[in-house]
Amino acid sequence: MLMQLTLSGASQGAIYALVALSLTVVYRSTTVVNFGHGDLVMSGAFVAYVLVVGLGLAFLPAAVIAVVAMFGLGVCFSRALIRPIRGGPHIGFALMSIALGYTLRGIARTVWGREVLPMPRVFDIDPIFLGDVVLTGDALFTIATVAVLLALFFALLAFTDVGKMVQAVYQSERGARLVGINVSRFHDLSWGTGAALGAVGGILIAPVSFLHPDLGASFLIKGFAAMTLGGFGSLGGAVLGGVVLGLAEQYAGAYIDTALIDITAYLLIILVLLVRPRGLFGRKAVVKV
Amino acid sequence: MSISPATLRLRTALFWALPVLACALPLATNPYTQFVLNSMLISTLLTLGFNMVIGSLGQLAFANVAFFGLGAYASVIAMNALGLPWLATIPLSGLVGAAGGFLASAVALRGIRLYYLAIVTLAFGELLRWLYIHADGLTGGTDGLALPRETFLGFRLGDDTAQFYVFLAVTVVLVKGTLNLLRSRLGRSIIAVRENEIATASLGIPTARVIVTAFMWSGFLVGVAGALFAAHIGRVFPESFGLTQLIVGFAMVLVGGTGSVLGSVLGAVLLTALPEYVRAFPGMEEIFFGLVVIVVLLCLPQGLASLLRRLSPVFLERHFRE
Repeated sequence: MLMQLTLSGASQGAIYALVALSLTVVYRSTTVVNFGHGDLVMSGAFVAYVLVVGLGLAFLPAAVIAVVAMFGLGVCFSRALIRPIRGGPHIGFALMSIALGYTLRGIARTVWGREVLPMPRVFDIDPIFLGDVVLTGDALFTIATVAVLLALFFALLAFTDVGKMVQAVYQSERGARLVGINVSRFHDLSWGTGAALGAVGGILIAPVSFLHPDLGASFLIKGFAAMTLGGFGSLGGAVLGGVVLGLAEQYAGAYIDTALIDITAYLLIILVLLVRPRGLFGRKAVVKV
Repeated sequence: MSISPATLRLRTALFWALPVLACALPLATNPYTQFVLNSMLISTLLTLGFNMVIGSLGQLAFANVAFFGLGAYASVIAMNALGLPWLATIPLSGLVGAAGGFLASAVALRGIRLYYLAIVTLAFGELLRWLYIHADGLTGGTDGLALPRETFLGFRLGDDTAQFYVFLAVTVVLVKGTLNLLRSRLGRSIIAVRENEIATASLGIPTARVIVTAFMWSGFLVGVAGALFAAHIGRVFPESFGLTQLIVGFAMVLVGGTGSVLGSVLGAVLLTALPEYVRAFPGMEEIFFGLVVIVVLLCLPQGLASLLRRLSPVFLERHFRE
């Protein structure tokens, strides 16, 4: 029982971790919290769905195309809509990202109405039984994909020049500009990366759950909850927070009450706020006057 | 920029002429337009409340949607459980909203600001919605709660025309109240906190009290809007208070003009009327609101009120630095 819950919690948590990580990538590099992120996740899943069901592509090429498309969308959004209001107040960014998400949701609804779409099963391998634990293909694939992606991502940050550049911009934007890093382009690419990573999360969830245009809102809140728990702006913290949230949902649902699954994320946000507002790995914000 | 006495008189005349003229509107409407007119008045209160925190105080509080729902549920539950007449529940809902605002300001005063405040209040709002669904003994769950039928001074409560006059009176009083608040010392302090909180505090202005006031007044307005909304629809559902309300409210604030009372009214009226034309297609409304916000942010960040201000000093609001 416990093992089974841990497995399903981990595969949910892996997806939350991706969503939280992609939110953090955008936040750390551009200081914009993307309130439309859930809808980007939803859009990625929808693009993959259309390619698979509408055009009859195989799952993997469809997924790759969807991720690339979402990367492009993220870059375009950053260039066309965020850059012009860069100098303005923070509320402008929030509104802009909400507006983007809302528009995407509207487009999805125009095309699909309010129906709920089942994605064809991808990993129709027979479940593996280990003692009394059932390993489904979906769960294994999700956990493996996210693990590989995260390993690549953090390796990129730790061992390459790209990672050095990212660190430089995180440390000081002005300093990074002075040593010749094109910070504006870096912002665009961060948006693209965030959108693409989020899309991967959406594509992974698609075969397991039903797709509908309002999918985004819950992903957004789960991503926020994971970020809050891990500490706002901490990349590793976002991943850990996501996994913890996934596990917490399953345990709370099984051992306390199934209705709790829906609100674990909200309770977690409020709890972290009351106990330790900066989360597990967040740094205390210092206000300079 | 100083305003001549003649301009001031004209402005006062305009302010009072509008509601007086509006009193004649029900003579020329059919039930549908009457319904939309009533929606406009509710949206005006909502937008005023949103604008208080987003525009005047410059904080991102998403909880206002939650207070809207709280106000609506408080109104219906008070009618059902306590047998209060609907009119009496209006101030009650306002107080419930204000209490919510107080709570949100307590969070803001813990140093949780901007995005973080937005996330926390978002979670709080969704938590409430979950409660509406699951506390079905009190709230009727997903089916919602119907209002009891009552008559007041010979009007049936569900009569849109009768409701219109009540809504109009409430809205005019609260718009005037908001204007007065923003012109008072306290209201100026709200703007000052938005511009620079530390500088404001160093002038000896009690910034905490200012923040609490802004949040509570915002909550009060939104709570009252909730009570009106309950009567307007005749039934309260958890779905009515989801995140959709949020973007609608934001769009109204933005299109009208952040921090502007006149803007709140303009934005609410316009954005209640326009979507009626696209309602026939699923998804069109979302696209409409999304694109409106994007275009206004890019082209007219100060909203429609700023256009009017450029046209004539009559529309110059005194809490604006021009």
